[in-house]
Amino acid sequence: MIIPLDLALLFFLVVIGIAALTVKDLLAAIVLLGAYSFVMATVWVQMHSPDVGFTEAAVGAGASTALMIAALSRLERWSSD
Amino acid sequence: MSKRTVSKKGEREAGKKEGREGADGEERDVIVDTVARVMIPLSQMFALYVMIGTEGAGGGFQGGVIFAASLILLATVFGVKKGRDVLPEGENAILSSLGLYIYAGVGLLCMVLLWGAAEYLNYGAFPLPVEYALRRGYLVTYAVEVGIGITVATVFASLFFDLAWREDVLGRDEGRRDL
Amino acid sequence: MGIESLVSHVIEKYNYWMAVILMLIGLYGTIGKDNLIKKLIGLNIFQTAIILFFISLGDVRTGPLGEGGIAPILTEHLPWSAVEHAGNEATFIYASPLPHVLMLTAIVVSAATAAVALALIVRIYEEYGTIQEEEILTKEIERERAE
Repeated sequence: MIIPLDLALLFFLVVIGIAALTVKDLLAAIVLLGAYSFVMATVWVQMHSPDVGFTEAAVGAGASTALMIAALSRLERWSSD
Repeated sequence: MSKRTVSKKGEREAGKKEGREGADGEERDVIVDTVARVMIPLSQMFALYVMIGTEGAGGGFQGGVIFAASLILLATVFGVKKGRDVLPEGENAILSSLGLYIYAGVGLLCMVLLWGAAEYLNYGAFPLPVEYALRRGYLVTYAVEVGIGITVATVFASLFFDLAWREDVLGRDEGRRDL
Repeated sequence: MGIESLVSHVIEKYNYWMAVILMLIGLYGTIGKDNLIKKLIGLNIFQTAIILFFISLGDVRTGPLGEGGIAPILTEHLPWSAVEHAGNEATFIYASPLPHVLMLTAIVVSAATAAVALALIVRIYEEYGTIQEEEILTKEIERERAE
């Protein structure tokens, strides 16, 4: 674990998490959640757990985001808050 | 997602000739088309590598998810209807239960061949003409992991299709949806 | 315990503090947001924060700058030159694999819950025509009054 890299990634995670919750465009929120998952996967890989990071990159950033976008194609794109 | 509504007639004819046409007659983007054609087989190869590339347990679920991601890419680029044509609903049901049958069947085969109820899922004792660790590795890698991968891939693809599929007011299936 | 050791204790465990902050962000998204998709995003952030906490539990640090500790892979399979450097008799300190395995299951469960939640949201939208929670509640009250 490299501490400056770890700190930078964790700070980045907080910023992306807040952005995904505050943006009003739901498509942008979902894509930001995918970016959040990918940064989280990087954090886990540099914490010496490559299996968990790999699974998160495949499931959280890949399949889960695709499922959410597929569901959003049947919903309204804009949120009120 | 943007779509090109205005295009020159010649381009459109060429697109029709090469089969570059969506479900609703729109011409697809050349770059998206070409990248998808290259990336889908590559990601499927990577899924197979994750599933059976290494001997030993682990990787079935991840490989299945990556395989499902290649099917989802196919469905997003070529339309949900085309994706459903590649993996129809009946085959989907058959394949997703086939993986479970492979997983349980190998365990039951151990039980039947070794004549003992406690031998369920005991892959190492399976009578194959190789040594113990290799027998276990082969069975886990090429039977159990493949079974898990088939089930996960088809179930995830079916989740995507069911969420993206939409029947419009007339009851007519609308294959391609704009996001 | 002096104040200096307390402060260093807090700073050393910064991973846990970040996990708690992310958890609170997710809790705010789950409770405070009105949109159902936003609630789902908050739930996802909450889940990953918990997984981050567990992975932090499993990781080891032997030095002050975070050096030491390897991924839990059998050393004869390690392709890195670190093995040749250390010699065959060297012992390696590796991260605990038990939280990793538990959290693999948690990731799979999070994908499944997300799919179920999305199906429910789509169904709610077909029923009420909106995914804002306040509007759904008003429509529900109106329906009950009409009956």
